[in-house]
Amino acid sequence: MKALAGLLRRDLLLAARQGGGVGTALGFFLTVLVLLPIGIGPDQATLQRLAPGMLWITLLLSVLLSADRIFQQDFEDGSLDVMSMSALPLEFVVLAKAMAHWLTTSLPLAVAAPFLGILLNLETATIWPLLLSMILGSIGLSLIASIGASLTVNLRRGGLLISILILPLYVPILVFGLSASTGDANIAGPSLLILSAMALASLVLAPLAAAAALRAYLK
Amino acid sequence: MQQFANPTRFLKLANAALPYIWIITLALFAVGLYGALGTAPADYQQGETVRIMFVHVPAAWAAMMVYSIMALASAMAIIFRHPLADVAAKTAAPIGAVFCFLALATGSLWGKPMWGAWWVWDARLTSMFVLMLLYVGYIAIWQAIEEPSRAAMVARIVALVGFINIPIIKFSVEWWNSLHQPASVFRIGGPTIDRSMLWPLLVMGLAYTFLFLALHLVSMRSELGARKMRNLLIARGGRS
Amino acid sequence: MDWTAAHAGFVTASYVLSFIFIAGLMAYVLLRDRRVKRALLEMEKEKP
Repeated sequence: MKALAGLLRRDLLLAARQGGGVGTALGFFLTVLVLLPIGIGPDQATLQRLAPGMLWITLLLSVLLSADRIFQQDFEDGSLDVMSMSALPLEFVVLAKAMAHWLTTSLPLAVAAPFLGILLNLETATIWPLLLSMILGSIGLSLIASIGASLTVNLRRGGLLISILILPLYVPILVFGLSASTGDANIAGPSLLILSAMALASLVLAPLAAAAALRAYLK
Repeated sequence: MQQFANPTRFLKLANAALPYIWIITLALFAVGLYGALGTAPADYQQGETVRIMFVHVPAAWAAMMVYSIMALASAMAIIFRHPLADVAAKTAAPIGAVFCFLALATGSLWGKPMWGAWWVWDARLTSMFVLMLLYVGYIAIWQAIEEPSRAAMVARIVALVGFINIPIIKFSVEWWNSLHQPASVFRIGGPTIDRSMLWPLLVMGLAYTFLFLALHLVSMRSELGARKMRNLLIARGGRS
Repeated sequence: MDWTAAHAGFVTASYVLSFIFIAGLMAYVLLRDRRVKRALLEMEKEKP
């Protein structure tokens, strides 16, 4: 546990010093948020109806964009090699890195998104459910992103391939995240439970898959 | 399975079986097409367009079956380290991808006269679309990674992760759509299928299955041959 | 099959498309197999 915390702290410090992560992701998020009303048209009623979906999709794409950062640097300078030979199992290394990604990219975006939704005429009543569902969903988003990152860590054009591999995995989170942000408690309640279940499942399964992929590249 | 572990033995068996498999495939297609275009009646609601079912549904079945085989082969590669498992998975993918594409295309051609739309986002179609993406991603991984054993290791994970994902997606989209369109349910082929339409469907299903079997065995033979060539080249290069 | 029925074109298109792609797939698989077989034969002849 101490090694895990240490690794997490190291990654957070690195992210803070380099500042690449949340800034770029937020910038992308805002850019898309500007393009959407231009593309869809200024009709407020349409924007309001589409706002939760658009916010969720933009969140997915922003997290996806930052996915290849998760392992790349440590892979390239050999740190991942060293970590893989340490006492800490590679699965925990993946967990630490996914958590760092969550704390520095997915979570801040998930917190900001509902409020930025005001730009899309989001209903005020929807802000709180959206916040809750996005925070919960963002856990799965980062963990699944780590799977994609590990599968393509050494590939030149890995970015496009990550999208093809990861986006299908994001569909269930999108579906249940959206239904969890509706006002209707009968739908939102079970959806939040399912979202939590998916977060827990990915907490276990993602490190397994990602570590296996990394071992293939570290050989 | 262990008897097939030796590539030479596998090739001997495959070569012996292939002529018969091709003959069976041809016969099945002949009988199936005769049933599909000849004896099967027009549907009382859809008219002649129901005949598209006889090329659409078998293609969809085949696409799903092939992906399951890829996932099974990948699992066997991981658990038992069966030497032919990776080859089996790799060679099955392009065949399954073509079937998947045909399922999507013929589905579109069926949907336009039947529902008035080239495409709808119901659970079944969405899952089939995602399956196409999974095939593309899997094949891309083999292309993108140069070192064969590393490509194999990564591909196994892609296949298995994708395999788990398909039913989850189908379930979530089904649920999502039930919230949004409670009324219409798109049923392909009607609620119950008449026997005169069922047997051509099953025969065509078998035809596609045997076609896959034939093409898969030939592909595995090519792949094993290509590997042998590469090994020979490496061995000879080292000698000089 | 009534070739003059409504939407018969869609049916024809489906079968033709399926035929083209299956034929193409077969061609790809079988031609590749022939190519590999020949190359392998060549290589084994070269062996001293």
